[in-house]
Amino acid sequence: MNAALTPFVESMRVAAETRLPGSGLAWLDAARNAALQAFVQRGLPDTHNELWKYTTLRALSQRSFSVGNANAADLTVPQTLLPQIAADAARVVLVNGVFRTDLSILDKLPTGVELQPLSRVLRERPEPLRFLLGVHGDEDDGFTLLNRALAADGLILRVAAGAKVAAPLHIVHVGSPGESETAWHLRSLIELGEGSSLDIVEHHVGEAGIGHLANLVCEVNLRDRARLGWTVVQTAGSGTSLLRRSDCRLGEDAVLDFHALELGGKLARHELRVDLAGARSRFRSRGAFVLHDRQHADTEVLVTHRGRDTVSDSLWRGVADGRARGVAHGRILVLPGADGADGGFYNKNLLLSPDAEIDTRPALEIYADEVKANHGATVGQLDENVLFYLCSRGIPRELARRMLVRAFCAVTLDGVEPALLREYCESLLSAQLPETSA
Amino acid sequence: MATQPGEVEAALSRRYDAGFVTDIETHSLPLGLDEGTIRALSALKEEPEWMTEWRLKAYRHWLTMRQPDWAHVKLAPIDFQAISYYAAPKKKPKSLDEVDPELLKTYDKLGVPLHERAKLAGVAVDAVFDSVSVATTAQGQLAKAGVIFCSMSEAIRTHGDLVRQYLGSVVPQGDNFFAALNSAVFSDGSFVFIPKGVRCPMELSTYFRINAGHTGQFERTLIIAEEDAVVSYLEGCTAPMRDENQLHAAVVELVALARANIKYSTVQNWYPGDENGKGGIYNFVTKRGECRGDDSRITWTQVETGSAITWKYPSCVLRGDRSVGEFHSVALTNHYQQADTGTKMVHIGRDTKSKIVSKGISAGRSQNSYRGLVKVEKGAVNARNHTRCDSILIGKRCGSHTFPYMEVKNPTAIVEHEATTSKISDDQLFYCRSRGIGEEDAVSMIVDGFCKQVFRELPMEFAVEAKKLLEVSLEGAIG
Amino acid sequence: MLKIDNLHARVAGKEILKGLSLETRAGEVHAIMGPNGAGKSTLGNVLAGRPGYEVTAGTVTFDGKDLLEMEPEARAAAGVFLAFQYPVEIPGVNNTYFLRAALNAQRKARGDTELDSMQFLKLVRGKVKEMGMTPELLNRAVNEGFSGGEKKRNEVFQMALLEPRLAILDETDSGLDIDALKQVAEGVNGLRSPERSFLVITHYQRLLDYIVPDFVHVLADGKIVESGDAQLARDLEAHGYAWVRERTPTEAHA
Repeated sequence: MNAALTPFVESMRVAAETRLPGSGLAWLDAARNAALQAFVQRGLPDTHNELWKYTTLRALSQRSFSVGNANAADLTVPQTLLPQIAADAARVVLVNGVFRTDLSILDKLPTGVELQPLSRVLRERPEPLRFLLGVHGDEDDGFTLLNRALAADGLILRVAAGAKVAAPLHIVHVGSPGESETAWHLRSLIELGEGSSLDIVEHHVGEAGIGHLANLVCEVNLRDRARLGWTVVQTAGSGTSLLRRSDCRLGEDAVLDFHALELGGKLARHELRVDLAGARSRFRSRGAFVLHDRQHADTEVLVTHRGRDTVSDSLWRGVADGRARGVAHGRILVLPGADGADGGFYNKNLLLSPDAEIDTRPALEIYADEVKANHGATVGQLDENVLFYLCSRGIPRELARRMLVRAFCAVTLDGVEPALLREYCESLLSAQLPETSA
Repeated sequence: MATQPGEVEAALSRRYDAGFVTDIETHSLPLGLDEGTIRALSALKEEPEWMTEWRLKAYRHWLTMRQPDWAHVKLAPIDFQAISYYAAPKKKPKSLDEVDPELLKTYDKLGVPLHERAKLAGVAVDAVFDSVSVATTAQGQLAKAGVIFCSMSEAIRTHGDLVRQYLGSVVPQGDNFFAALNSAVFSDGSFVFIPKGVRCPMELSTYFRINAGHTGQFERTLIIAEEDAVVSYLEGCTAPMRDENQLHAAVVELVALARANIKYSTVQNWYPGDENGKGGIYNFVTKRGECRGDDSRITWTQVETGSAITWKYPSCVLRGDRSVGEFHSVALTNHYQQADTGTKMVHIGRDTKSKIVSKGISAGRSQNSYRGLVKVEKGAVNARNHTRCDSILIGKRCGSHTFPYMEVKNPTAIVEHEATTSKISDDQLFYCRSRGIGEEDAVSMIVDGFCKQVFRELPMEFAVEAKKLLEVSLEGAIG
Repeated sequence: MLKIDNLHARVAGKEILKGLSLETRAGEVHAIMGPNGAGKSTLGNVLAGRPGYEVTAGTVTFDGKDLLEMEPEARAAAGVFLAFQYPVEIPGVNNTYFLRAALNAQRKARGDTELDSMQFLKLVRGKVKEMGMTPELLNRAVNEGFSGGEKKRNEVFQMALLEPRLAILDETDSGLDIDALKQVAEGVNGLRSPERSFLVITHYQRLLDYIVPDFVHVLADGKIVESGDAQLARDLEAHGYAWVRERTPTEAHA
């Protein structure tokens, strides 16, 4: 059954007629074609899909987006959008989905780190990517399919075994207001060799303006004993729809340390899948969203404990004001044989406005008995006792309120490094917090 | 509470002792379902025209629906044409004294007293055998208090206006696939009406028994508590051991008007299938209560140990201001049983409160899921919910799952959920065993302790029954 | 400085204070003693303006201004400080940040210039040293993970920094061992000055061995039934609260 040919689907079909990097390669053409057909059949995910239950795409399906970022290579980007987050960070900049050598700082790329835009790899040496781009996933949704069909760029990032990279790598996605609503699809691969270590800061910035659609799919592979520190700072432009899916696989003793601060965008969804495949691998996540106006944010943290003695520990906070809607879903799946698994997901939310909504859904799916699995979720308001304590020390109620909301979110910034980045995050958080609220 | 010596042994050797078949002449409708079946059923029950039409409307709606697949259960497709929608003992008793002695024996064997013992125990019993109610005790005494307690069939004939006013007002005909099916083909069930200001003088209970093969049981229960009324209602269920899967798709509706208080307790022990997963009841039930009036309260307490597959979410719609909904549940699965159960609390009125306590125990190769929704609507100022879900796993091949959903649209609400899953504690087991308690007994003891909080909510006799059931159901869970 | 006249107050619909009157002048230390449930903590909370404490009759003026009309933060700015019986833990709010926000809000309300972060750090570090606190206190979240004694000392430390004119100590001695008690008392004594007045609420006379009061008032059933000097506290310790009741039968049982 064909999904209704909505303006969205139609615009994507038209997009597929343009020539993409790597076009002409038989296996790649075939895979892209198959993905496109599957997408046209299936359409965008609907709310019957449990992972999309609280994020409706009805409005999006009625819009159409142009492709081709003809001028993305020349758009100027204000320096304020490219802050320094560490003293000696290498930087990669993509503007409207196009890799920009001129804005990137790659001479600082440490030894052991190999970084290339997908577009170049597809032109020069595509064969090694066949494993990534030539197959279909079991759990593809409409956006993943679309990404398989239309990804024109992305980052291929590899760290050599044993390389311990001290300075973080700053990856900046800039959404620059253009003349029409544009969609881009990025496909990235991050691979850390055995015993290597890297920190990346994924930064989404943009100016208010017309609404773009960014569809990012990323595969992360951490070999045994590798460690990835991954901080997402999302301050995308107020019109942007930002759909992200990340699939991470961890080898033995590998560590993924994830932070997210979600502040921007109109629709921002991140589906973070973590497969703790190797024994003793560990995943820690800390994240917060602070929303106002009509923002919609949806975070899906889906953790699979596959190896023995694996640990996951997630703590998320959400604040919704105005007419915003915040969605959190944390699922811990413990497979048979994953003895010694220790999983936790905690989600607390503050609802600040009578027109805002929070939907939270922690889930445990446990198929092994030697486990500890816990979750907790709350939706509520600030504690009046604590407010009074602050006021009794002379702090005006409004300021006290702001301090507490800030503190409520700031606990998720614990462990964000370097200090410069943390301070930057704190300043963003302060700037985002509502001045007045009932 | 110390267990009497011998009591545990007796319980452990008991297995599924409700699994016998009563040899009694039965009148059944042929297998299959169409409008003709429904008309025949309605005619057999001597129903008024409006009831027949109500059923047909539900049936037509059902035809447009699809069997849901979102629950965390696996089942073979159900052939709705291979079921008989009506089975009843041939002899129709006019009073309790005329009830077939075979039937009385059956209920005696099940420990359900229909005669003098019922009076002594201070419990009024409605006994539903396959598709019909065979006896309702203590009706006279209840009538004096103004309480109506009878079978649904009787109520349709004798209290048609009340039934018509409330039937389907909490669970609409098209609410879900199985509720629609039930609305079309329901055979019997209990009807309870507690008038304004009356505190029901005794516990009411219904005992459901599936006996005939190839039949489905589709009972319908409706409980109405008017202003300031108070009632406690208990329900128990059993079925013979058969290799086929039998369908039980009930609908229960509760209506609590202002300041009314309804307590609904269930001990569900339908035949769970054998240790290889053969046979057993498919228990697909829609239970919902509406706190329609201010300051009303509905409490669901359930102990679920039976059925091959359970799929039920006793829910509360908290419409009245300051109304309170509670859900206390123990769900135990063993062998190949699957349970997907939980609750929905929908906060609509101001200052509404809900509390959820769920205890899940999975053993063998069973799958046990808690699924719950707490929804706070925009107008539910100061709504409060607290949910606590704990699960334990016994053995390596079972699964235990928790799927809570929280949807909050009011900034003065506080909704809290916490859950833990772990295996039965080695330390506790060892401690018991080092004091000389055998492993199975130790497990029973620990599980019983784990469930205490819920058992406390049950009427005394049911609590004892529930504890025994757990012991029996856990048999073979160790090793 | 503080003038309480015929104060009646209710908590959760129950009348706790039933006509309490009390006057304190600058430089004085007043101890409020009394059995459990007499209304001691209610008095402290009412003076600080805690929500849920409803004043049904009577007046409270502070330097001639109507205290009851003021918001909690305005009372703090005016110089009223309550050392909480149960100081609140505030995870995620850093102590330094909290103290600076409080101090600057009070200074601003009084028309003083606010301190920049350098000035503030200098001041707060000085106070830390003066009060014998560990400097790492400043990097921790407000009261989070503090022991009972640490929390009480932190209240006194806040008092030292904010320099209130009227300090109300609500059972600051409860739950403290003798060493912690001495430390807290030393802190308080160091803050005694001709401009500052103290209201020391306590169940036991023990604290008053270290903080010697100018006046002792016995609170029973919502009003002051006896007042005297430090000797009254010692008599109470020797004879118990029943002794006061016997001495003032009509009032105490009124």
